[in-house]
Amino acid sequence: MSETFSYLLMAWSDPNLMLLTALGTFAGIYIGAIPGLSVTMAVSILVSFTFAWDVNDALALIVGIFIGGVYGGSRSAILLNIPGAPSSVATAFDGYPLAQQGEAGRAIGLSTVMSVIGGLIGTLVLASAAPVIGDLALRFAPRDYFLVAAIGLLLVGSLSEGSLAKGIFAAALGAVIGLVGMDPVTAQGRFTMGQTELMGGIHYVVLMIGLFGVAEALYQLHNLDSPVVRQKVDKILPSVAMVLKFLPLSIRTSLIGVIVGVLPGVGGDIAALMAYDHAKRTVKNPTQPFGKGAYEGLVAPETANSAAVGGAYVPMLTLGMPGDAVTAVIIGALVVHGLNPGPMLMVENPHIFWFTVGNLALANIFLLVFGLMGIKLFAKIVELPKAILIPLILVLCVVGTYSVNSSMTEVFWMLGFGVLGYVLKIFGFQMGPIILGAILGPLMDTSYRQAMSSVGDNPVELFGELLSSPLSLILTSAMLLILLSNTPLLGWLKGRLRPASSN
Amino acid sequence: MKKTDTLLVGERTFCVLLLAFSLGIAVLAYQIAGFSSINSAGAFPLGASAVMVLAALSILFDLRGRTRADSNGWLDAARQFTRAHFPPRTLIFTALAIIYLATIHFSFYASTFGFLVLSMLYLRRGRLVSALAIAALLILMIYLMFTLAFSVYLP
Amino acid sequence: MLKTLFASAALSLSALTLALPAHAEYPERSIQAVIPWGPGGATDNVMRSLTPYVEKELGGKFILNNRPGGTAVIGSSYVMQQRANGYTVLLGAENPQLYKVLKLADFDYSDFYPVNIIGQNVVVIAANADAPFNNMAELLAASKANPDTLRMGSTGAGGLPSTISAMINAVDELKVREVTFGGDGPGITALMGKHIDFMPLSLAAARELVRSGKLKALAVFATEETPELPGVEPITKSLPAIAEYLPWGPFWGAFVHKDTPDDIKQKLVDAYAKAVANPEFQGFLKNFGAQSLNLQGAEAEEFLKRWQSVTTWSMYKAKAIEIAPDSVGIAKP
Repeated sequence: MSETFSYLLMAWSDPNLMLLTALGTFAGIYIGAIPGLSVTMAVSILVSFTFAWDVNDALALIVGIFIGGVYGGSRSAILLNIPGAPSSVATAFDGYPLAQQGEAGRAIGLSTVMSVIGGLIGTLVLASAAPVIGDLALRFAPRDYFLVAAIGLLLVGSLSEGSLAKGIFAAALGAVIGLVGMDPVTAQGRFTMGQTELMGGIHYVVLMIGLFGVAEALYQLHNLDSPVVRQKVDKILPSVAMVLKFLPLSIRTSLIGVIVGVLPGVGGDIAALMAYDHAKRTVKNPTQPFGKGAYEGLVAPETANSAAVGGAYVPMLTLGMPGDAVTAVIIGALVVHGLNPGPMLMVENPHIFWFTVGNLALANIFLLVFGLMGIKLFAKIVELPKAILIPLILVLCVVGTYSVNSSMTEVFWMLGFGVLGYVLKIFGFQMGPIILGAILGPLMDTSYRQAMSSVGDNPVELFGELLSSPLSLILTSAMLLILLSNTPLLGWLKGRLRPASSN
Repeated sequence: MKKTDTLLVGERTFCVLLLAFSLGIAVLAYQIAGFSSINSAGAFPLGASAVMVLAALSILFDLRGRTRADSNGWLDAARQFTRAHFPPRTLIFTALAIIYLATIHFSFYASTFGFLVLSMLYLRRGRLVSALAIAALLILMIYLMFTLAFSVYLP
Repeated sequence: MLKTLFASAALSLSALTLALPAHAEYPERSIQAVIPWGPGGATDNVMRSLTPYVEKELGGKFILNNRPGGTAVIGSSYVMQQRANGYTVLLGAENPQLYKVLKLADFDYSDFYPVNIIGQNVVVIAANADAPFNNMAELLAASKANPDTLRMGSTGAGGLPSTISAMINAVDELKVREVTFGGDGPGITALMGKHIDFMPLSLAAARELVRSGKLKALAVFATEETPELPGVEPITKSLPAIAEYLPWGPFWGAFVHKDTPDDIKQKLVDAYAKAVANPEFQGFLKNFGAQSLNLQGAEAEEFLKRWQSVTTWSMYKAKAIEIAPDSVGIAKP
């Protein structure tokens, strides 16, 4: 027990480790804020960089970058309407309107505090229930992944302002874009039109940068001469009363984040969108309408994507299986450092587990400090003249896209998606559903085919399994419930009931 | 976007184009594996493209009964659309961006500098010295951030 | 730090450096090393561990560049399109040897010069610890009793599990449902959750789980027991006929453009040979569950040829591929 405690406090008591964690968190915020510079990439560069280091030093730096990077994406989402990473797509929905109202500082302040709360809850869950949740992740059969993806796609309903048909079209378009490339089962090309460059598919970050970054730059060209929004930079820190008010919501969305984060192949990006959807469904009186600058619309995704970090560590530390792309690289780092990530890691090297837990908590504290530092300066970015900001955004989009896969072809695609997104925006299509489709489409395709192959292509057997497995049954009912609440059927029922009750 | 009773200029044409595009996607999806199996490489793409076609039809259906935009024929509508959404400024900026991408393989820093200076000159209608200074500063920031700090492989 | 500056300036200066005798003092700038797989994968891990030793031997800096996609087609063809000046190195795995028969691309490693065949992985056939079969013979019997009901984890056409199952099918009969995952990781997770029944895996991926008792190894894909997994029978015990394909394993290698000047080739070959032989890297390989090969020159070419021939002909025999290997110039083993 005392040993556990000493491992837990290791990062807190060693100035060297503390410094590395702080450095990592600080760097992570900026890596996360720049679209295209991803945490995965930064961590994988670090693996060869920290090759000769002590393993604890390397892990401390990596944890810092992870925590900082997941949070950093919200910065550019709020300030420029360009999510720095897919996990902060949902943050832009209400964060950017807030910046437009001169509340960028307050939005960043709130998202910082909420990220920290989410991160700490995620860490707490990791520390207290890792083995239990790790086993839960194993219960998910391919058909359950399919159901999770289907539930995720139902978010289209709440992501599409106005026309549902347009939202559905956008999501299907996203799914088709996500499916471009080599089929993972048969290795034949899909929608590649014979182009070798397309065999590797189109990375959804490329799509995201184009749809949000370039489209936004083109859109802003119209506002070149309009006066800039003066930012209020007082009252950056949310009041205690405000934090307490959002606490119940943030705990719920953090739990969504942890659970989704645990599942391999589904990460903070989906968690944040699901949390946003949850907030939209459950919060009856948001500070402003959702999509127009509701604080709740910031709280939900920011807590969820930070909590997902703790979740992603669960299968990594208990089973040696990656919970997401970043933990996959961390597993590689452990291997390079001569450790054997697997179920025996917790038995043979328990210090790795408790050290990580302590370190995650520490990184969250640093996040609070660094996140709240320099907000005033950052808020000024919104006040930069558009004529300077727009070319700079485009250059960053180019660099960011290129750094994803070092492919110039993808940079041209990115620009094309930018123009496409701009035109779609003109006619009232939303960008959120396209990204959602691009992330979930491939997941749904592979899980659908895994589920089908598992039952020997027999739909009747698959249907039977959906009803007989408890987990699948829960997910199926959840899906049907959401579907029902999205369709006019429920409204019709309510309409029938209301006159009866008022009489 | 607010829902109005009047169609946007070009909205009907755009929705027809979307439908045509969706049908094209459906054909491509069919070519992957046809209707060979419910568990083929083409099964899910076919499903997704079917959803696209249906959604595009539904979008077109929604346009019914709404007042046409105030335009005289195709040519005028196209002109109005361009004026509203693709004014010379947008077109020239996009062209600059394409030239930038096309020249990037000669030298990343040189073409980026050129792009920044030219686009700032154009968007601010002059002020060469300040454009040069700002572009140099931004290039320096990019260099520090990407090449030095994170050693990202640039084009 | 200055060297990273050189790397970014490299493309703009490439015309200049080409005009100079580029091989005079190779390497005079950073070398781009392309890893055609994503970060965190087995290939990425091996290459990131090896590169610091190569840098020390060669006295130059490598910039590791992940270019994943299309079963490594994207990254490999990128290296082929670069100038043959030794400044672009491909750090890849076995996959290009199957491109021609899988119709993925029209090149293979014979279009490159093999600098070093670094090592190969041992393959084990793993099942959930609670599975009703304990060795290969019992697995085969179970699949024959109920053909097409057992679920095998796969990683798609050309992946390790489908190649192994093709080899088994070439000498015996193993009729199963192939469930395809995006890689080892998700497949192993499904195996632990009993959503699939068995999966051929690399020792590197399976060893820790076998050791902790979450999975059990039915057989090692070799003619003898492997020291890492004592007590696990070699596959030849239940399936003697498969010996003609052994030894067999997925491998990693470093490659350059075929037309690279000979003295640069030699410098790279020497550096890689010394780096792979480094005791620290050997320790990593052992810990990783892989066998060191460290082949170069004619030996490496011979290895590549045999690997390709054995693999493609067994796949053809098991009807896992349609085109006859000799129609694309692959001789019978």
